[in-house]
Amino acid sequence: MNCQDINQAIVEGSASPLPPEAEEHLRTCARCRELAGTLKVPVPADLPSPTVLQEIERGLVANLRPVRPIAPKRYIFVSMMAIFAVTAVLGLSRFGAFAIAAMTPLQMGAIFGALAISAGLLAYSLVNQMVPGSRYRVPPGRVPLVIMILLMVSVAVLFPFQQERSFWFSAWVCIRGGTPVAAFAAVPLWLVLRPGAILSPIMTGAATGLLAGLAGTTALEIHCPNLDAWHILASHLGVAVIGAVVGLLVGWAVETGN
Amino acid sequence: MERYQQADPEAPAVLVSALSPGLLRFFRSQSATSGQAEDLLQDTWFRIHRVRHTYRPGEPVLPWIYAIARRVRVDGYRRSRRIDSHEPAMEVVPERPAEGEPRHALPVFEALVAALPEAQREVITMLKVGGLSLEEVARATSSTAGAVKQKAHRGYDRLRKLLRSYAEAAGGAQ
Repeated sequence: MNCQDINQAIVEGSASPLPPEAEEHLRTCARCRELAGTLKVPVPADLPSPTVLQEIERGLVANLRPVRPIAPKRYIFVSMMAIFAVTAVLGLSRFGAFAIAAMTPLQMGAIFGALAISAGLLAYSLVNQMVPGSRYRVPPGRVPLVIMILLMVSVAVLFPFQQERSFWFSAWVCIRGGTPVAAFAAVPLWLVLRPGAILSPIMTGAATGLLAGLAGTTALEIHCPNLDAWHILASHLGVAVIGAVVGLLVGWAVETGN
Repeated sequence: MERYQQADPEAPAVLVSALSPGLLRFFRSQSATSGQAEDLLQDTWFRIHRVRHTYRPGEPVLPWIYAIARRVRVDGYRRSRRIDSHEPAMEVVPERPAEGEPRHALPVFEALVAALPEAQREVITMLKVGGLSLEEVARATSSTAGAVKQKAHRGYDRLRKLLRSYAEAAGGAQ
């Protein structure tokens, strides 16, 4: 066993004694012996004062009433996905589904698949962010970034880049149409999130805004027959970016206001 | 924790007495003074009380508690910075130890860990003081077990170097 193995043993067995091979190494290596000795944390010397403990206990008991644990993850996840889908469909019923006829089956399957996966990942991340100490496969701060990259690459691969005369005008028309859909989705999403314990309002705000924005993006993808990749990137995905930025700013205001 | 959710009047005392020493030490090793650490401890328990419905029965308790404690520490740090920026700068006079109190208020572990970068300090404190496993630290810090392992490895390497430099300094002084 060498010094690196000792590190490994300390990291992995933080609460248990070191294995016998480690003890052998410790006999010969002064540095590891010092490290292991330092990390043998004794019983805390500075216990909280009894007055503080009593004050805490009194405070907790005074307001004690039964609470029902938060809903299971799958219910919250399904609620979020339902909000996403219903809002997109409502937006579509208002604007019409002109893009369906313009897209090939491959484009349709791939872009709506990417949007559904993105919404699913965001909803799953948000469900975890509602409960402190949840398990993450991808750190929640990275999820919005990963999703934006996934969607941008999908659009760049699936749709042709063209020169458009009235690029800014048509982009503005789509942004103006998609943003209210996103705002409409944000309200019920916030209601679903409210019972949770949001520890990082900035991160949760950005993810919620992005999910709401993706509802707007989905409505535009079904409605807008303009298949220029620049247009989709700037305006359809632009709605998602606007949602994320607004959510982030709201989260920032909440966090700094606390 | 489940009894606490069901409003068993004895549950808060059991939880508070079992978990407060570890939490206090967690705050102390994150560079808080004794008084600040006790304030943070109180804030943590009151926040835990407010969000106790978010604990899902059957899930590990420690990551849930430490994730909240971690957030309280960040908020407390931010609040104290805001207060500091509004107060005129004063010379800091170190507290004198009370009669009979050992000269070194900080044990060796806290003194050493204080020299680590924040992320490494947090991980090592949770592992060694809180008694959390790698997986639990990952949950408490919204990270992955791999990332926590890497931070802990780097932290231990740094601690080893620090110990060596202390030993050399002590050797040179003799």
